[in-house]
Amino acid sequence: MAADPKLSHTAALILQAIHAGHIYGFSVMEVTGLPSGTVYPAMRRLERDGLIISRWERQSIADAEQRPLRKYYKLTRNGRTILDTASKRYPLLTRLIPSPEVENA
Amino acid sequence: MRMRGLAHSLFVCTGILKMAAILVPRKARAEWLEEWRAELWHVWHICNQNNGPAALHQKEEITAFSLGAFKDALWLRRNHASSAPRQWFRQGMPSRCILAFIVLAAASLLIAYDCPSVWKVVQANSYRDASDLVMVSRGGFESASYPTVEFSDYEAWTRDSGHLFAGLAFYRLAAKRLTIGTGSSAELPIARASANLFELLGVPISFEVRGMADYPTRLVLSRSAWLKYFHADAHVFGHMLQVDGQQAMIAGVIQDEDWRLPGRTDLWLLEDAQRLSTLQPDTEGYVLAHASPSVFRARPDGRRQMYVARKEGGYDWFVCESLAERIREPWSIFSFALLLACLALPATTSLPLGEYPAHSNQVPWTTRVRRWAFLSAKFILIVPIVYFGSLDVAYSSSSMSVGTSELLEVFSSFWALLLAFRWALRDQRRRCPVCLCTLTNPARVGQFSRNFLAWNGTELVCLSGHGLLHVPDIPTSWFSSQRWLYLDPSWSALFPVGT
Repeated sequence: MAADPKLSHTAALILQAIHAGHIYGFSVMEVTGLPSGTVYPAMRRLERDGLIISRWERQSIADAEQRPLRKYYKLTRNGRTILDTASKRYPLLTRLIPSPEVENA
Repeated sequence: MRMRGLAHSLFVCTGILKMAAILVPRKARAEWLEEWRAELWHVWHICNQNNGPAALHQKEEITAFSLGAFKDALWLRRNHASSAPRQWFRQGMPSRCILAFIVLAAASLLIAYDCPSVWKVVQANSYRDASDLVMVSRGGFESASYPTVEFSDYEAWTRDSGHLFAGLAFYRLAAKRLTIGTGSSAELPIARASANLFELLGVPISFEVRGMADYPTRLVLSRSAWLKYFHADAHVFGHMLQVDGQQAMIAGVIQDEDWRLPGRTDLWLLEDAQRLSTLQPDTEGYVLAHASPSVFRARPDGRRQMYVARKEGGYDWFVCESLAERIREPWSIFSFALLLACLALPATTSLPLGEYPAHSNQVPWTTRVRRWAFLSAKFILIVPIVYFGSLDVAYSSSSMSVGTSELLEVFSSFWALLLAFRWALRDQRRRCPVCLCTLTNPARVGQFSRNFLAWNGTELVCLSGHGLLHVPDIPTSWFSSQRWLYLDPSWSALFPVGT
């Protein structure tokens, strides 16, 4: 993981979207309005840098809903710290995609 | 209808994903494809649920979504852990440099092979007894590309040459009408020659019809003429042909590269002495002779001189230039350019590679050998690249004269060799002596104003942490050439790239 926590605006937006509960690629695309060619490579980069982790959902869930298995992403502790720093740098992030705790407040 | 369109779109998009998956490293491919298929299924499912005007653009949206997979696949290709072997070819690696050189050498060889006029030069063999085979020219016109000897002189020498020559052949070029098949004819440059021309040269005639070697008028074709005019038909040999209204038998074929004497032609009309004597005595042509080495000795420059007394008084001066001297082999021309480049190299750049302190504890002898092997490999690979490259430049155009082509070969190969050798040395100086990677991150050190107090110049670093290179801006008595500073393992924490 890079020592410098600077994130691009796009990466911060994707991180915020995942934090807000949009935990798979297409939902991140929908909420951010970014194209697939930007979102998926960015998520891989974030995963490589240890800011998010991915996991496949359970087979039984997919079978019950008669759909293919889906890969979900969530923030790591490090990712959360860096998102906090990025939120200070990009104050509009939380307004564009409100975090769950903000929505519940 | 809309469902059918979307189903078709899903089918097409799955195909797009499969194509993009080819770019993904094999280890990650299955998982990557599974994720994208799942995502595509959801995109398609959501589009399927939507109705209304937005539905018109859904097909395009699904396609655009799928096309994004290429970007993702490319990213994975560049960054996946399994792509590590590709690091072997990353920028600045010695293997990449050697590979580039091999590719260049292969490319220049392929271009030479693909260009018939160049390949002909590459394949050309020396004539048998080339040092004693001579082209006779009128004095002062030696090496001329036009005929200078009168037919009457040739006839006189064939009768009596005072044992100077063991054999003589005559030929001259003229445009003649060749009738091929029924009705089709073309005016082509044909060499009208004495019957022993190819025998004297030692050039074998392929497909020669047995028992017909003494036929009074025989037509010999070059391989390209045989392909062009007779479509490589092996049954034409022994058949008669009209050459300028005269019957000639198609006698055989010689290889294109076997004809390297003055005069460009693809057809040779070999005539016996009786028919050849119909030429006017003052007709000028080329005379090829086999000089008797014991009687007619060559000067150090490979030439022989001959004075012929005239009936009306006075002498005519002739020069006999050996084919070995006249027809310079492309390799010998290149060797000359190579020698010149080697001599000029120290005058244009400094040869020392810099000061590399003996550090036998850390640097094994194999590493040092590898460094020199890399430099040698570069020099060795430059030779075929430039050789074939210069041949490609010099001989690709058949409209250029032989002299111009040779001059072009000398100039192009000399300059290319000199510049390439200079680059090889320069490249070697900018590489780490341990891993042979190109040094990076140049940093200015010192100030010009303090030149007498401390050194100033550029500092480069090996990304693997093997050391630092200090290159002085102004060579001084205390810092004349670049110096390498080995870094001990305690620095390794700063260089994550290091192995």
